[in-house]
Amino acid sequence: MENIYLAIVLGPLAGAVVAGLLGRWIGRGGAHWVTILGVATSFALSLVVLWHLVVEGAPAFDGSVYTWMTAGGIHFEIGFLIDRLSALMIAVVTFVSLAVHIYTIGYMREDPGYIRFFSYIALFTFAMLMLVMSNNFLQLFFGWEGVGLVSYLLIGFWYERESATFAALKAFLVNRVGDFAFVLGIALVVMYFNTLNYEPVFRVAPLMAELSIQVVPGMDWSVVTLICLLLFVGAMAKSAQIPLHVWLPDSMEGPTPISALIHAATMVTAGIFMVARLSPLFEYSPTALNVILVLGGATAFFMGLVGIVQHDIKRVIAYSTISQLGYMAAALGASAYAAAIFHLMTHAFFKALLFLGAGSVIIAMHHDQDMRHMGGLRKYMPITYITFLVGSLALCGIPPFAGFFSKDSIIEAVHASQLPGAQFAYYCVLGGVLVTALYTFRMFFLVFHGKERMDEHTRSHLRESPAVVTVPLVMLAIPSALVGWYTIRPILFGGYFGNSIAVLPAHNVLAEVGRDFHGPAVMAEHSVHTPALWLALGGIFLMWVVYWLRPALAGILRRTFLPIYYILEHKYWFDDLNEKVIAAGGRLMGRLLWRIGDVRLIDGLMVNGSAWLVGRWAAISRRMQTGYLYHYAFTMLIGLLLFLSWFVVR
Amino acid sequence: MTFELFIFYLFAAVLVFAALRVVTVRNPVHAVLFLVLAFFSSAALWLLLEAEFLALVLVLVYVGAVMVLFLFVVMMLDINVAVLREGFTRYLPVGLLVGLAIVAEMGLVLVRYFVLPPGSAPKPVGPDFSNTRMLGDLLYTHYVYPFEIAAAILLVAIVAAIALTLRRRPGTKHQDPAAQIAVRRRDRVRLVRMDAEKKPE
Amino acid sequence: MTFEMPDFWLALPEMFVLGMACFILVLDLFLPEERRGISYFLAQITVIGAFVSSLWVAPAGVQTTFDGMFVSDPLGTFLKLAIYVLTAGVFLYSRGYLRDRALYKGEYYVLGLFGMLGMMVIVSASSLLTIYLGLELFSLSLYAMVAFDRDSLRASEAAMKYFVLSALASGTLLYGLSLLYGLTGSLEMSQVAQFAGGHAGEHYAFVFALAFVLVGVAFKFGASPFHMWIPDVYHGAPTSVTLYLGAAPKVAAFAMAMRLLVDTLGPLQASWGPMLVVLAVLSLAVGNVVAIAQTNIKRMLAYSTISHMGFLLLGLLAGTRTGYSAALFYAVVYALMSLAAFGVVILLSRAGFEAERLGDFKGLNERSPWFAFMMLVAMFSMAGVPPTAGFYAKLAVLAAVIDVHQTWLAVVAVFFSLIGAFYYLRVVKLMYFDAPADPEPLTARLDLRVALSANGLLLLGLGIYPGLLMGWCLAALH
Repeated sequence: MENIYLAIVLGPLAGAVVAGLLGRWIGRGGAHWVTILGVATSFALSLVVLWHLVVEGAPAFDGSVYTWMTAGGIHFEIGFLIDRLSALMIAVVTFVSLAVHIYTIGYMREDPGYIRFFSYIALFTFAMLMLVMSNNFLQLFFGWEGVGLVSYLLIGFWYERESATFAALKAFLVNRVGDFAFVLGIALVVMYFNTLNYEPVFRVAPLMAELSIQVVPGMDWSVVTLICLLLFVGAMAKSAQIPLHVWLPDSMEGPTPISALIHAATMVTAGIFMVARLSPLFEYSPTALNVILVLGGATAFFMGLVGIVQHDIKRVIAYSTISQLGYMAAALGASAYAAAIFHLMTHAFFKALLFLGAGSVIIAMHHDQDMRHMGGLRKYMPITYITFLVGSLALCGIPPFAGFFSKDSIIEAVHASQLPGAQFAYYCVLGGVLVTALYTFRMFFLVFHGKERMDEHTRSHLRESPAVVTVPLVMLAIPSALVGWYTIRPILFGGYFGNSIAVLPAHNVLAEVGRDFHGPAVMAEHSVHTPALWLALGGIFLMWVVYWLRPALAGILRRTFLPIYYILEHKYWFDDLNEKVIAAGGRLMGRLLWRIGDVRLIDGLMVNGSAWLVGRWAAISRRMQTGYLYHYAFTMLIGLLLFLSWFVVR
Repeated sequence: MTFELFIFYLFAAVLVFAALRVVTVRNPVHAVLFLVLAFFSSAALWLLLEAEFLALVLVLVYVGAVMVLFLFVVMMLDINVAVLREGFTRYLPVGLLVGLAIVAEMGLVLVRYFVLPPGSAPKPVGPDFSNTRMLGDLLYTHYVYPFEIAAAILLVAIVAAIALTLRRRPGTKHQDPAAQIAVRRRDRVRLVRMDAEKKPE
Repeated sequence: MTFEMPDFWLALPEMFVLGMACFILVLDLFLPEERRGISYFLAQITVIGAFVSSLWVAPAGVQTTFDGMFVSDPLGTFLKLAIYVLTAGVFLYSRGYLRDRALYKGEYYVLGLFGMLGMMVIVSASSLLTIYLGLELFSLSLYAMVAFDRDSLRASEAAMKYFVLSALASGTLLYGLSLLYGLTGSLEMSQVAQFAGGHAGEHYAFVFALAFVLVGVAFKFGASPFHMWIPDVYHGAPTSVTLYLGAAPKVAAFAMAMRLLVDTLGPLQASWGPMLVVLAVLSLAVGNVVAIAQTNIKRMLAYSTISHMGFLLLGLLAGTRTGYSAALFYAVVYALMSLAAFGVVILLSRAGFEAERLGDFKGLNERSPWFAFMMLVAMFSMAGVPPTAGFYAKLAVLAAVIDVHQTWLAVVAVFFSLIGAFYYLRVVKLMYFDAPADPEPLTARLDLRVALSANGLLLLGLGIYPGLLMGWCLAALH
């Protein structure tokens, strides 16, 4: 099996290398064929692995392939931990990646950076697979940085656009903040566990639970909590949790396939995956879990609200992504790791679907992304319309679409959690359902129904996208609709994850939820008695009224809730805080350090000052070379005298 | 105190006195003469050590040749010692200080710690013993390598002295008989044809 | 008295050089001015012959002859070979220079060969007497060579200073050696070493003798505070002689230190180690700092010599095999660097013009890019910039010092080389960024150009593959 694992990883890498380095010779066709082939191989093999583990019931694989170096007793290795968790992730990642690869052929057809683009996304797939399949922190970090790098490259893909380079830089810098904490967390792991591999860390973690560390003298902090919080700060940046979410909306500057692949389905879920992967560690820190729960809930609700006021179709989906990631984080915090991963999976399908659908719309609209210029597209783009509707319903959690099962489980799990922040989080995720319905169907009605607001030229060219675009939409629509129904039982309540996710009995909320679970049909039926479904339906109805029946109502509503609208319009001033306080403060400090530290102290005092000193010294000591023979001879005698006295005195 | 010891101290005292005077007298000729005295005294000391050959060589070579040469040079150059001694008193205190310090330390250490290796004192030899022969034996067998190097050093000294001083000054007037004899007629006489009177232009 | 016939075979190179030197001396008398080249070629043949014969007679292990006064060991053989190569290089470089200045005389080569002979004697000395005689032979030749340009007042003054100071140093050394003889009753190094190791009682007296010996050794190295002669002599002597002074004698000084300090007074390492620390630190400080204030390149290189000798002493004071081999490597590499640097100075000089001022290097890149590059390599190597040989030499020495837990010394050394980098880089700056005062392209004989190029490339090559020379150095010290 080891060779298969290697092949899964190396397939996309080979594609990326060939397309990236030999792109000029193999041409556009060669580039997409070679990368698609690589990713398709990975996907096929990942299905084999999944089959092997799930159907044949093979034990998990944990082994190193290659030792990079050994220093101070710590092995730096490349290794794989393939269990049901990672196998599921591999399958999701390669599937979405494959769909995006195919879609890109149509979406990027006109772009001069076509080959570069394929090389990047194949490279991304490689890095993501390395992250997911890793059995140690080093490789995790490698993958983590790898996906971050490619994300940066792809957000700034159209580097002639100033906004794109700005967004890329922003994403990079925000992720640096997270990565800094992340690497500190890894360093703490190495410091206390003296290994980089997961398995020994997990084994020792229960013994470490009571250990404390004094970072600030006089304050005892639990080591495990500190590690978990640091690691989670890394996850916050990558998975766009408040307050490190600011880069994700801007990242929509990148091409749409990227938004689908990286900024919806895979990379942003790396943080979620990481916490689930390290669940044996996080379980021993209720404090960290509580932080995750509260932050996740807050993100789910408040970021969704911002989505309601956006005009750019991709930004709406971006805020929706942040909100959904908040759901996943809340699930993690409630120790419902399986629910988080389940939602991750369903979300990957329907969010990729929504993005690609949006991309299809954008193609038709000649790369105009403003929803105020759309409307009534239903009759021009039927396939896109249908698939987009499926995605929207899934996102809103309407049974029996996939999103319903995962989201409802999360709400139940949070409800069942005993952590201090659970109450707050519960209201957040519940309110989030309404918010989700509001922004989703606002977008849906604005785009596909109502008056046609585009100009004549665009209208005359409106037509359904080509097959390379619609086939992936259909490919994604099917799981978006069905995957929840068929997989909720094994994944959430059937012990699918087995040992790969550890939950302490005290935190086991899913078991509690599972007692009331009697199959998907019952669950869907039961949902009629829960507030979540009614909130969602209510939201949809409201939007139907506002944006389809009485479009004038939108303006009235906006004026009525002007203060709230104002707050949302400015996205809670996070960007302003960053730009005017943090970035400006950084620049100010940089200037101060430059003026005083660099120019005065280092250049002035240390560099020029020491040069001046040496020069003076040289000028003085050269006078000792008088040219008089007796001075020279005398110097020698004094030297001799010194040597003699030294030993006589001693 | 045996008579030998008395002689030793006598000559040793003379030697130290003479050596001191060499560097302290004002007249360079006197200094050279004190040096001669110093050599004589040390030759006497060597005689006491039964090193007759070395004592004689010292007198012959140094006193007989080197010192006489020195005297010539000193007298010919007529060095004004007073000029050379300018600043002497200025540097004297610090010089004395350093000198005394070195002497004091040397005395301190050597008197306390300097021990000759056992059995290194030479045994007295009979009257028929020839230390000239002994020296010769040693020099040409055991010490042949240093001896040859010493020879090379002397050769270098000669080469250096000649290379640095032998020069042909341009413009000196001297005769070269060989050249005078080898001269030919055409080297000296040139026949020039001239018209008796100047032609009108 | 029994007498064993010495094994003359081992001393074949010495005998050959001596015989050839005498032959050239006599032959040169009968050569007309325009056939002076014959003396030059004969001198080169002598050096080559010595090279071959040294390789030929080298024994596998350690062998002594002449009643223990002459030793032939791998270290000696290696040092001699280095000396031959360097001397041949000096002869080659200085030929055109001498010819342009009416200094093209057989005596230069004869004295050069005698000086080389002196170094050879030092290298294979195993008795205090022979090492002293070798030193005298070598010094005497050098005095004469420094004064070789008889019409130059500066040269005469330099020779005079060198002579007097050297005599002072020799006297001190001789006094120390005589104390050792008095203490042990033997002139043989191995016996003195045995005695010094076994008699703790006379320790003070030994250390006392050591101090005197050390003065002599330090003077030969030109380590501060016994360095005063170096700038004046380097500056005053004709450049061809400065070249000679800067190359092989450093290797000989290393040999002297090895023979006297390690072979003879090795048991007193704990005493001479700290003394060398003082010498090394002072040399590094004085050499690097004062060099900055120089405007004459020969004087600048003289101060740089002082600092390099400080570095070399660091390797010695470590007192380990790696330290000695690092110092040996440093000595050889330094001699090569010095050869290259002075070689370029010679290259720039013409009849009636000495390229001595730093300003004469201005814009060398425009006049001759290749030789500007060679000078750049030499300067970088002296400053210790990778990938030149000088970098590796410094690295090896520093590693040896750190090995014996004298990290502060390594820090001091790096600190001063940092200061020193300034004046090396200044030369580079002048060559590459300033306009030439004299835009004439360079003209030089083919042999000089080839040799100089080989020299510069060797510095680069040894920086990239230092293992070869380092391997020899380690093997020599086995």
